[in-house]
Amino acid sequence: MNPLILTIILMTVFLGTMIVMASSHWLMIWIGFEMNLLAIIPILMKKYNPRAMEASTKYFLTQATASMLLMMAIIINLMHSGQWTITKVFNPTASIIMTLALAMKLGLTPFHFWVPEVTQGISLTSGLILLTWQKLAPMSILYQISPSINLNILLTMAVLSILVGGWGGLNQTQLRKIMAYSSIAHMGWMTAILVYNPTLTMLNMLIYIMMTLTMFMLFIHSSSTTTLSLSHTWNKAPLITTLILITLLSMGGLPPLSGFMPKWMIIQELTKNSSIILPTLMAIMALLNLYFYTRLTYSTSLTMFPSTNNMKMKWQFETKQITLLPPLIIASSLLLPLTPMLSILD
Amino acid sequence: MLKIIIPTIMLMPLTWLSKKNMIWINTTTYSLLISLISLSLLNQPNNNSLNFSLMFFSDPLSAPLLVLTTWLLPLMLMASQHHLSKEPLIRKKLYITMLAMLQTFLIMTFTATELISFYILFEATLVPTLIIITRWGNQTERLNAGLYFLFYTLAGSLPLLVALISIQNLTGSLNFLLIQYWNQALPDSWSNIFLWLACMMAFMVKMPLYGLHLWLPKAHVEAPIAGSMVLAAILLKLGGYGMLRITMMLNPQTNFMAYPFLMLSLWGMIMTSSICLRQTDLKSLIAYSSVSHMALVIVAVLIQTPWSYMGATALMIAHGLTSSMLFCLANSNYERTHSRTMILARGLQTLLPLMAAWWLLASLTNLALPPSINLIGELFVVMSSFSWSNITIILMGANITITALYSLYMLITTQRGKYTHHINSIKPSFTRENALMALHMTPLLLLSLNPKIILGFTY
Repeated sequence: MNPLILTIILMTVFLGTMIVMASSHWLMIWIGFEMNLLAIIPILMKKYNPRAMEASTKYFLTQATASMLLMMAIIINLMHSGQWTITKVFNPTASIIMTLALAMKLGLTPFHFWVPEVTQGISLTSGLILLTWQKLAPMSILYQISPSINLNILLTMAVLSILVGGWGGLNQTQLRKIMAYSSIAHMGWMTAILVYNPTLTMLNMLIYIMMTLTMFMLFIHSSSTTTLSLSHTWNKAPLITTLILITLLSMGGLPPLSGFMPKWMIIQELTKNSSIILPTLMAIMALLNLYFYTRLTYSTSLTMFPSTNNMKMKWQFETKQITLLPPLIIASSLLLPLTPMLSILD
Repeated sequence: MLKIIIPTIMLMPLTWLSKKNMIWINTTTYSLLISLISLSLLNQPNNNSLNFSLMFFSDPLSAPLLVLTTWLLPLMLMASQHHLSKEPLIRKKLYITMLAMLQTFLIMTFTATELISFYILFEATLVPTLIIITRWGNQTERLNAGLYFLFYTLAGSLPLLVALISIQNLTGSLNFLLIQYWNQALPDSWSNIFLWLACMMAFMVKMPLYGLHLWLPKAHVEAPIAGSMVLAAILLKLGGYGMLRITMMLNPQTNFMAYPFLMLSLWGMIMTSSICLRQTDLKSLIAYSSVSHMALVIVAVLIQTPWSYMGATALMIAHGLTSSMLFCLANSNYERTHSRTMILARGLQTLLPLMAAWWLLASLTNLALPPSINLIGELFVVMSSFSWSNITIILMGANITITALYSLYMLITTQRGKYTHHINSIKPSFTRENALMALHMTPLLLLSLNPKIILGFTY
């Protein structure tokens, strides 16, 4: 793509999210969402093939529907409160509709169906932007309206998301679909704690973004989109296999890696608010996630030479540049002892 | 306590910076030195624990386990030298790094004061063990073994996390030094029953309890020798140690909640001992023997009398040394014949008489011959379970008999009789192997002279 156009489009995506996060007027928020949506469509369609077109069409339709639902919730709020400022939502109907709209944007169950298909149809870099940057805007709105969200709906969607994210990823071999289901599950964890302690949502978002960035960077480096092609990394760059192992185990939430920190904090916060069965169930369902990450590490790093390669190796014309990999690796694996620092998020 | 932890952490830079011909020498020597430092912890005051800081302490229960852990690292390194000799240098260093990392986590687990810190380190020991089993094991079944190991333990221990956090909300702190002083009876309610279950199931899976033991034969058999040694000797004892610590907070529910687990353990020890008589795989036999001995420990911990606690602690140390030695002996067979089938390597006494002496000593301690500490442990457990209920003597007696049967079966099959015709070309025993067995056996024999140090905090 022409670099100037690419810059303008990326700036628009950035600006859209910034408008959403910084506004105090509901209309500006809606405008920010639309700006974001319109600008990201060309990014999703960077490779001009029918699969990418299908993916961006699905993305556009779901996000546009969600924006319209959001607009309806805004109007109902306007009718009941007479003002456009973002404080709490003044009407339970508006709150429910807004929660559903934002859940649709995030990809929570039962609105998760678009996430694997869209992520699969686009390139790895676009998938990276989709799964990390695009989650920031809806999450910031959820953070701001968190006092008035209906607890039952949000918790149901969260728990179902963790279940679907774990269960759905079990049958996948395509790496982008695995990351999509992982994103659904992590969104579930984040929204479960939203009503009780929104700071932990931000913590989980931060750690999740770091881990997903690391994973995608490692995938981009080895240009691998399937489990089978990932199992060739030991031929090209054996150190990458170790890093994939560490990051995947961190995403699964194994102590002593930093992926355990959000889960531990969320379980602690939920238990303090006298729900005991819920965090137990959530933790057990996170084990499903861990299963397919472990299976991925088995084929990538834990069964190296002298096992044979099953697939013809791809040509690699140039070494791809990975930005910021060392700090990302450190952040996604060694942050657990720094847990008391989460007070800076307040 | 940092005087042990920091040197163990520094073992990792030591391996990466050593030259090719010095890695084994350096790591084995320094880990032996660290174990000598830890011996000073055995000097315990009689009525209190040694408190080093707010985060680390050692009392008469954790000190012997700590000494066992640090003693075992040089032994593991010595045992792994042969099967790693053909690997490239970086993989050797990775292996030693995994062992050192596991060692660090284990030391911190045994000396942690805060129970959540104990939990995090308990889980942290899973990661290096998983990597050792799946990366350096020998058969394709090791992948399945790693998965079973990881998921059984995690599924049991996630409720433990929730339970510990809810106890922290109730009592304000999970620091063990505080809890032992303002311990109160748990009120009787359904949710406290589930709390009891959540606290105990993690350790039951780890011990393992008879119904949840499926991961153990897989993991022990598929692991390389250092993995088998550390699994049998230390990781199982983590379960016992955790149970001994947590049952202090769980009274009086333990009086009635313990019955199902007592039944499972009493029946399970007979079952697993009997299975040992029908095993063809040598490592599998030793693995099931571990389950049987640990079932005794579970019975002892759940009965909660002073004598049974003494028996449990002694049995844990004794079984650690014995089981690790048996795995080393089985590995010496495996390295020569590349098969774990018992009948393929018979009559070894004719060819390797010194090794046969070590086999004899190991089998004798496994069947709890007096005056070894195995006997002291088992005897205390049998006596205390008899006083708890007279009928258990039948099961205990049957277990001791069957243990003797399969230990002698293992000894006779591998050592006695005519040797198979294909093994008269095996290499004679290395000095390293003899040193390994001697280093296992000497503490075992010496401890029978002064068993007071391993009898735990109710002595």
